[in-house]
Amino acid sequence: MKTFRGGRHVPDNKHLTENVAIELMPIVPDYYVCLAQHIGKPASLCVEIGETVCEGQLIAKADGFVSANIHSPVCGTIVEVVKRKTAQGRMADFVHIKSNGEQKVVTLEPLTNPTKEQIIARIAEAGIVGMGGAGFPTAVKIQPKDPVDTLIINAAECEPYLNCDNRIMIERTKEFIEGVRLLATACGVQHVYIGIEENKPEAYAAMLALDGVVDERGPITPGDIVVVNLKAKYPQGAEKTLIYACTKRKVPTGGLPAAVGCIVNNVATAYAVWDAVVNGRPLYRRVMTLSGQGVRRPKNIDVRVGTPLASILEMCDNITEDTVKLVMGGPMMGFTLPDLDVTTTKTDSGFLAFTDKEASTLLPTPCIRCGRCVDVCPMALTPLMIDFYATVGDFKGAIKYGAMNCFECGTCAYVCPAKRPIVQSVRLTKMKAKEIK
Amino acid sequence: MRYVNSGSPQIRDNTNTKRIMIDVCIALLPATIVGCVLLGLLNPQYAIQSAILMVISVVSAVATEFVYKLCSKVPFKQILDEFDYTSVVTGMLIGMNLYQNSKWYAAVLASVFAIAVVKMLFGGTGKNIVNPAIAGRIFAYISFGAGFGGTMGFERTYSSPLTYGSVQAGATPLQAVLGEAKCTLSNLDLFIGTGVPGCIGEISKVALLLGGVYLVCRGVLNFRWPLIYIAVTGVTTVVIELIGGAGFTDALGVFLPSILSGGLFLGAIFMATDYVTAPITKLGKYIYYALLGVITAVLRDAVGAEVVSFAILLGNLIVPLIDAYVVRRPFGWRKPAKEVK
Repeated sequence: MKTFRGGRHVPDNKHLTENVAIELMPIVPDYYVCLAQHIGKPASLCVEIGETVCEGQLIAKADGFVSANIHSPVCGTIVEVVKRKTAQGRMADFVHIKSNGEQKVVTLEPLTNPTKEQIIARIAEAGIVGMGGAGFPTAVKIQPKDPVDTLIINAAECEPYLNCDNRIMIERTKEFIEGVRLLATACGVQHVYIGIEENKPEAYAAMLALDGVVDERGPITPGDIVVVNLKAKYPQGAEKTLIYACTKRKVPTGGLPAAVGCIVNNVATAYAVWDAVVNGRPLYRRVMTLSGQGVRRPKNIDVRVGTPLASILEMCDNITEDTVKLVMGGPMMGFTLPDLDVTTTKTDSGFLAFTDKEASTLLPTPCIRCGRCVDVCPMALTPLMIDFYATVGDFKGAIKYGAMNCFECGTCAYVCPAKRPIVQSVRLTKMKAKEIK
Repeated sequence: MRYVNSGSPQIRDNTNTKRIMIDVCIALLPATIVGCVLLGLLNPQYAIQSAILMVISVVSAVATEFVYKLCSKVPFKQILDEFDYTSVVTGMLIGMNLYQNSKWYAAVLASVFAIAVVKMLFGGTGKNIVNPAIAGRIFAYISFGAGFGGTMGFERTYSSPLTYGSVQAGATPLQAVLGEAKCTLSNLDLFIGTGVPGCIGEISKVALLLGGVYLVCRGVLNFRWPLIYIAVTGVTTVVIELIGGAGFTDALGVFLPSILSGGLFLGAIFMATDYVTAPITKLGKYIYYALLGVITAVLRDAVGAEVVSFAILLGNLIVPLIDAYVVRRPFGWRKPAKEVK
């Protein structure tokens, strides 16, 4: 089975929501849509305060090349633009939309047999961004400067607990595969791989049942989508490790996937592309996993962007009293929330509520140089030395041991018996690196 | 309600330093117990002396840590919270490295030196540059002479209940391997420890191996490292014999006795593999353990006595050098292209 060097199998706890069908979130009274849901410049508002908008109507335009359009998730009135905290704790502008209960949907014109340029234009128009977490505008991502020949769909979903991509592949297989084909056309590539971890046999089987989708071992005819079964190991779904597992190409340090002719996109993104091209529906809905022992009824829910978390949790019978940690995103790379007063964005793949048993609340102790972090680092760095140097304030030393090449997957900190805050040391080094230069 | 705020990752593996150290203590128990019992078979009094020495070493090691921290004005509750069983491991290892006739003050001072000087003065857990137990043992060994004890404490020749073989009184099987004493013990005796004189913890290789297997199963130890150390020692000994002019079969016959005698198993499984004082990269570890094997075999031949602890001490001091030269290349690293002039 294909994989990469290093990494660690993390108990995935996917059973909580693995077989729970996606539910549609009903409309709630208030929506707070963030204008900075993507990497790059925040979108600029293009509707008036007090204006009535329809579901799917453009409310904020992309500002510059690296930016993305934002559409109204619901029919209602624009109440105001307020400053609120995002899940990451930054302050940003949010558009407050009060829904009026109408069901008027404005869509873009559906495309049949679109050309490469049409698809790219549509992706930009529909405000599609990388939905795995980074939120990089997809239209920019699929037009790299370097020539590319391979599209890889990241279906690894190596983060424990999360099942949103898994459920899309099971329930919306045809649509998803169609989205992959559209993306392949847009990128103009010959090879298409779907990298999926072995712990999703149902999704794997569902995809292979379709025409033109083959297993990597099977006879491959040109134009086929190749499904690559990968070992269930964290961080299998990281861009560089995924490219290596699927194609044996190594992205150079500091380089982008395009440097080795690859483009990586997420399952949810591919589905959103299908929705935008075939139905003309811009990106204002996404599937989220709500899980963890602290959520009474873990579910996968199709939510509108901007929905307050508290109302989504009502669908899951709320969180239990013994919840100690709230996490937005996956448990390995997600952020903790101080409270439930946040709203969802295009990039939120999950929300987790952890009880004391699951969450790590142990305090750091001195490093014992056991070398576990060195063994598991997928980037072959020396995390313990980075942590040591960053802790004593010698950031040049930390950079020497590879801090700048770290993509903060957190595997080192996960395995650390001394519970060292290695990822935080790396982030500190990255911040300080600018000052050194 | 307040929720915990923390950086990623939000979940952690359930291992921690304390648990690892408790595992090491558990792994050391069979060798300790079997050592005491086997010594008791030679002379019941030895068993009691050994057990007392073990207790003295552990208690004084732990007490030293507490006293040192109290002197550094650390609140008692914090000392209890910080207690991670590393001093218990050090104490046990020091006890296992003593002979049944070692004096009590050798045990106490070895532990005090190991914890206070080697560990705490360098900054406590994880900061020591050499293995505290090794340093403690060597400190006692070169300081107390007869007080440290030794195999001369075995007043007469004891024979193995298994094969009725024996070692010349006052000598060790290792000295027999090195050609300085007579020994009729079989390899099986050496492996199980029946009739073998030696340190409390090093007598029974099978018990040490059992502890090692436990550590491997618990994911604390990688089986490769002790294996490399032990195998390289054996091979180097054979090579030395060959160079010395021995016939091929004779030289090959030295392989098993050379690895089964002395403190090699104890050193290789529990002391050389101490996390803190071993290199951190895989390549560095290969170099380190192979080097230890060569040093051990060569020094044994040159000195004619057991040198495992000295070999490890020397190796520990080379580790920073290995770590400085063996630097990992990040994934996707490419050789920088030469600048065109």
